[in-house]
Amino acid sequence: MKLFVSEGNPHCLKVLAALELTAVKCDVQYVNHEDKVVQFLSHPALPAVLLPNGQQLFSANAICRYLFEVSGQNCNDHCNQWLEWEVTVLQPALLRALRTAVLQGKGSDVSQILQSPLNFLDQSLLKGSKPYLTGEAVSVADVVLWATLHPILSDSSFTIGEHPSVKAWFDQVAAVHSCQSAVQKVLQGKGLQAMKSYMQRQPAPPNSQCRDAQPCNN
Amino acid sequence: MALRELSSLEKYLGLKKPNKYSTQGDKKVPVLQNNQGPPLVGLITIACHLVKEAKRSDLLGESAESRAVVQQWLEYRVSRLDGCTKEDSKTILKELNIHLQDNVYLAGNHFTLADTLMYYGIHPLIVDLTVQEKEQYLNVARWFDHIQHVPRLRHHLLPVVVLRNRIYTGRHH
Repeated sequence: MKLFVSEGNPHCLKVLAALELTAVKCDVQYVNHEDKVVQFLSHPALPAVLLPNGQQLFSANAICRYLFEVSGQNCNDHCNQWLEWEVTVLQPALLRALRTAVLQGKGSDVSQILQSPLNFLDQSLLKGSKPYLTGEAVSVADVVLWATLHPILSDSSFTIGEHPSVKAWFDQVAAVHSCQSAVQKVLQGKGLQAMKSYMQRQPAPPNSQCRDAQPCNN
Repeated sequence: MALRELSSLEKYLGLKKPNKYSTQGDKKVPVLQNNQGPPLVGLITIACHLVKEAKRSDLLGESAESRAVVQQWLEYRVSRLDGCTKEDSKTILKELNIHLQDNVYLAGNHFTLADTLMYYGIHPLIVDLTVQEKEQYLNVARWFDHIQHVPRLRHHLLPVVVLRNRIYTGRHH
């Protein structure tokens, strides 16, 4: 199995944290943002995995699922639901927030963009009254959501309002050694600025209007 | 739309008792009312739950590798295909066409839930294609025709006429 990642790519945080946490054996190769590992996709997609059976994975979440499953931790309904929410609601909002913050320098808009998904996450954590999203231990859902939120929540220059349950959960996942080492590998201590060249190469989402307008889980 | 998909999926899976669904938000995200626990939210989450309920876990992939590939295509369906623009739809058809050149089904050699949900989702795009466009995406057309003939799968959707051979031989892509 071979994993392809690029520096400054926020999606690579997920897989590098999951890889170290699950201790699955895998070659890691750093490539450029433009390198087309998965040939049939129109835009270069990283991270990507070449599986032992010859198939390719081009979704960071699918790669994380695979690593957790190989190490004996399967994703149940609840975990599936968080991953689907991450893909359909949180990720589009986060990418929009990162674009405004990193490319347009409008950090003040970030709070408004993320308010609704963060409120939802906060209420769910409060209701669940468990330390992690799906129970007492870190699951693939925690790693995936933590990594997506990391660029914004770890940067104290953003004021995004009070979400005490999110903060407690986020700090707990962020303290996991594998997560810290993934941050170091991907962002190299440079924070948001490390993502600038990656963000500049991303096509603006063509359907951002309908996708970002309203989060579905409320 | 999603609710009709789930109801067709239930029939395909042979689930006897229809489940109770509702939707939430502007995007009409499906919600499954669950007697045993909190409601389940989201098309993929509910579809995977139904497959397990019907004891058809083979449709989610037979190995860790294929399960990851199936999940990846389910994600592609809800993140790329749903709510896509006309321009996006061309990119999607092009990507799928290249992928399906070497793959019988989305996840390789076996029919899975990914084919079912992609078929339901892509149906409106295929209906709108001209004959020439269908030729441009010949592998997609071949796969689509294959899936729409899977017994008990089509349900709420009309059959689409798909030519399996080129008639405009002068066009090269």
